[in-house]
Amino acid sequence: MPSILRPSRQSDYDCFSSTTPIVIDNGGSTFRIGWAGELDPRVTFRNVVQRPRHKTTGETVTIVGDHDPALMKYFDYTRTSHRSAFDSNVVYQFEIMEYVLDYGFERLGADGLQVDHPIMMTECVCNPISSRSKMAELLFETYGVPSIAFGVDAAFSYKFNQQHGICTEDGLAVCAGVTTSHVIPFIKGEPVLEACCRTNIGGYHVTDYLRQLLSLKYPYHMSSITWEKAEELKMEHCYVALDYASELEIFQKGKKEAEEKTRSWQLPWVPPPQEEAPSEEELARKAALKEKQGQRLRDMAAAKRSIRITELENELHGLKDLLQQLDQAEETEISSILSKTGYDSRQEIESATQKITQSLRKAKGEQNETEERIDASLAEKYPLTNVPDDMLTPEQLKEKRKQMFLKTTSEGRLRAKQKRFEEESMREKQNQQEEEKRLENPELYLEQLHSRFRELTEKVEQRKRLKTNGARTNGNQNLSGGVGRGERLNAAQKERMRLLTTAAFDRGKGEDTFGARDEDWQLYKLMSKDNDDEENGQEEDEAELARVTSRLQDIDPTFVAKSDTVPLQGTPELPRFRPLTAEDFQIVIGVERFRCPEILFQPNMVGVDQAGLDEMAGVSFRRLSTVDDAVKDRISNSVLVTGGSSLFPGLVPRLEAGIRQIRPYLSPLKVVRASDPILDAWRGAATYAASLQFATQTFSMQDYYEKGEGWLRQHHIQYTL
Amino acid sequence: MEPEVVNSEMLLPPVLPFKRVQMSDKYPKGHARGRHWKHLKQILQAENYPSYPANEPNYLNIETPPSMYPSKKFCDITGYEAQYIDPRTNLRYANPDVFKRIRMLPDDHVQRYLALRNAAVVLK
Repeated sequence: MPSILRPSRQSDYDCFSSTTPIVIDNGGSTFRIGWAGELDPRVTFRNVVQRPRHKTTGETVTIVGDHDPALMKYFDYTRTSHRSAFDSNVVYQFEIMEYVLDYGFERLGADGLQVDHPIMMTECVCNPISSRSKMAELLFETYGVPSIAFGVDAAFSYKFNQQHGICTEDGLAVCAGVTTSHVIPFIKGEPVLEACCRTNIGGYHVTDYLRQLLSLKYPYHMSSITWEKAEELKMEHCYVALDYASELEIFQKGKKEAEEKTRSWQLPWVPPPQEEAPSEEELARKAALKEKQGQRLRDMAAAKRSIRITELENELHGLKDLLQQLDQAEETEISSILSKTGYDSRQEIESATQKITQSLRKAKGEQNETEERIDASLAEKYPLTNVPDDMLTPEQLKEKRKQMFLKTTSEGRLRAKQKRFEEESMREKQNQQEEEKRLENPELYLEQLHSRFRELTEKVEQRKRLKTNGARTNGNQNLSGGVGRGERLNAAQKERMRLLTTAAFDRGKGEDTFGARDEDWQLYKLMSKDNDDEENGQEEDEAELARVTSRLQDIDPTFVAKSDTVPLQGTPELPRFRPLTAEDFQIVIGVERFRCPEILFQPNMVGVDQAGLDEMAGVSFRRLSTVDDAVKDRISNSVLVTGGSSLFPGLVPRLEAGIRQIRPYLSPLKVVRASDPILDAWRGAATYAASLQFATQTFSMQDYYEKGEGWLRQHHIQYTL
Repeated sequence: MEPEVVNSEMLLPPVLPFKRVQMSDKYPKGHARGRHWKHLKQILQAENYPSYPANEPNYLNIETPPSMYPSKKFCDITGYEAQYIDPRTNLRYANPDVFKRIRMLPDDHVQRYLALRNAAVVLK
């Protein structure tokens, strides 16, 4: 992880003479700047620029490299993100490049009117000429540098390691960078650019692949899986498998080894607060509260009732007074009294009195006795019913009809009541019998009950199935009985349809004998939409089933009604809610540990149709067609791996195995990692720039403008001085 | 500016003494901010490599050719070697369990999995 510490401004800028070159390793991920001849770069920072807006002043500021995230609260960076001057490994955004260079020179301590030092700068292999010339222009015109030299970072790394005896003058530099990987052969200490090759895959892709895979694997934690975190995980846990297929097999078969190789990253997680069981006190308090509320409601109801009772009583008194008044009053005064009260006649007042008495009784909670009284006085209430018609006047006849009607209805009511009563008593008796049976032999009884229950459920279920045969599959049961086009019919509907069609088509042919037999007419009954002669039986069964179920539930505590246990078919079982645990906040990295770096060897995995690192070496050897085999052997005996992505554990053995497959049998092979794959490029460039002959390799602004771009294209420095 | 921001020296000063042309003069405010920079593809097109001798190395011709070996198929979800392809989503999968998971995947996840190996459907 790049340090977020800001590099401090160097104070000894003036101590260096204007002939001391400034060495810049302009890498895709990090920018390093320092003085020629020194061992380490003075200033190192991430090669990115961010231009957020300061919140209080509103001005756009420039931040180069990483910074303290705590200070980001003062800036509005919602509309800007980290921007890089690179497209792949080529500089194209020179505005950003200028900010980066500004910051680099500023941190190095530059304070004169211009940067009066030769510049040694790294660039990619075969940098497009427009990029190189724009960079030269920028350095000459904006910073006023006297002269520039451009070199390839991987070559400097190789040269540095060559000086330290890690590799020889004939060899192969395998450089796994951020966005690209290169393989450059060296002959007599000089890179052979004709035979080098580049695959557009690097550490950036590894990180991106890891991030994408993890965020797809854990969609809920997508926000936690940031670029920075993925980078950190990659550096800490990723490794290159020596044999990818067998490593996969270990994981696929879930061997113990795989478990050991699996890492997990625990995200911050706070267990949810445990809900304690309410204490006795709490329960008592709650019960008391409930009781109190209930009491209040009861009180309110009682008060309401008493108010109503007094109201009704007052009204009753008023009416009784009125009646008395009417009794005492003269015939002539009656109408005047009545007109005042709003009643039309004495009968009306009487009926009102009766009504109020009744409601008063109801309010007081007394038994409503009127019905019985009516029953008792049935005969005298309908006196006309027993008198023959011819003895009555037309008015009495009308009255009699009315009385007859009333009488039959009340009689009917009475009969129904009696029937209800009888049924009840029968059920009671049945229950009693069953209870006796149960007491006699409880186990046998229970068994019988169970078997009866099973039988009934089966019957009901079967009937239901028959009725809705197939209709369930498309999910919409037809309640109306009408069947839409293309919907499946159940058995009954199918039968009806068959009858209808035969009836329709049989008509025309032959002799029409329909109706000759009585059974023919049954057809209409069958055809009718609501032919459900089984309906009654079904209802009975269902009632019986309900009875048996309730009985079973009463006496058998283990009994569970079947309809409760079997979930409705068709509704998918919902995932059970369970409390989240720490495991849900774990990001497990197993296969990903070696799956992501594998893209360096098989770029096909991420859709880049180019050969991987090991095959690239083979491509380079192929491109060295004019070189004889002795030199090739020398080259393969000195393969140097450099670049940030070469830090993956296991990369060197894997590369060795891969190149061995490509090289002829028994040819020598030695693959080594650079002494410091990240800093060696800068160190090599610093050593190179410190040599006395460095000045012969640079070009000045005058050279550039006189000779033009065509010359710049041909310009290659000599790495061996 | 807050003192801690100033102290941290995180901001790049707008005017630097060692520059001949200051940033604000070069890219004046108000003018089209991010002036157009050619992307790599455009740069390479403008380079006109075909006009140069074929044996001269350039950015394009040093690219590695495709691998000579047939590419292996790996399960898009688990990374194991994949024997099957789901015809509906075109995802590769290793075993029936993964297949069940594939069928449960929302469409955007399927597309993202495909995009990982550059096989997603790109609507233009």
